[in-house]
Amino acid sequence: MNDLYLYGITALLPLTACILVFQVNPYHALVIRGIFGAIAALVYAVLGAADVSLTEALVGTMLAITLYAVAVRSSLVMRLGVLKDDVAFSSSSSSETMAESQAVHPDSPTTFRRLLAELNNQLSQHYLRLELVPYPDQDALRQALMTKEIHATCVGCDRSEAKISERKELAEVTQDSQVDEAYYHTETRIQPLYEMMQVEGLSSVSRVTYVSVSEQEEVH
Amino acid sequence: MNIVLGMMLLALLIPIYEAWQDDDIWQKLLAFASIATKTSIMILVVAVLRDDWMIGVVGVIILSVGNAALMLLAQLIKRMNDAATNYE
Repeated sequence: MNDLYLYGITALLPLTACILVFQVNPYHALVIRGIFGAIAALVYAVLGAADVSLTEALVGTMLAITLYAVAVRSSLVMRLGVLKDDVAFSSSSSSETMAESQAVHPDSPTTFRRLLAELNNQLSQHYLRLELVPYPDQDALRQALMTKEIHATCVGCDRSEAKISERKELAEVTQDSQVDEAYYHTETRIQPLYEMMQVEGLSSVSRVTYVSVSEQEEVH
Repeated sequence: MNIVLGMMLLALLIPIYEAWQDDDIWQKLLAFASIATKTSIMILVVAVLRDDWMIGVVGVIILSVGNAALMLLAQLIKRMNDAATNYE
């Protein structure tokens, strides 16, 4: 048999297919899909189907990977609605703006950054991406959550005096330092997101609550 | 022919193993680049050994165009990583 190498090359295809199937991370699977496409193009070419091989390489690998990448990037995302001021704090990396913002809000930037880092850490364990959507005021934020533009909102608790007193009361009742530290209030309308944030604990920086949005708008 | 392609096959298994084992996405992408180039070179070798120009042209096209997808993918992953490190 002169064509022994054919068996070896053909055996690569199920091998890479198995590796692809057992990937958990979508981005890793995307890269392995590229490898799989390259191997498939090789197999087709060696077996004599040059046209199939060319199509696999150009469409199956190039176009499919690009489209999948766009799809994964836009779907695996948690849209977090925040107030414009908070975003200004979080993005102020230069020392000048940091000093300026600290003059207005003594501990807001660091706490907000810590909250985002913690949230990002939790989300990345589930291969999700965090996207901040700034809104001008709390009403717009609330409206966006109700109309399902965003998945969750995050506001500082000191925005209204009522919430501060509520927080103090809570701290007095429970005598818990965690509540006293809770500076931000995160609301989400997605049950799995709520459970994710609840179980794995963002509690040191934020209070997490779940709001149910009525499904009536969905019914047409 | 068998020996040449057998050795190339063994060389191809190295980046496949790397892509399977390594959890770093950039290592996987490097392995992908390695595999994409190796496979198109293998197509060219087969084309030359068989004296089949149709396969040869396909090999050349795959070799020259194949890296474009890699660039797009790398660009997307880089942006994702940038967004992730912004909050730390």
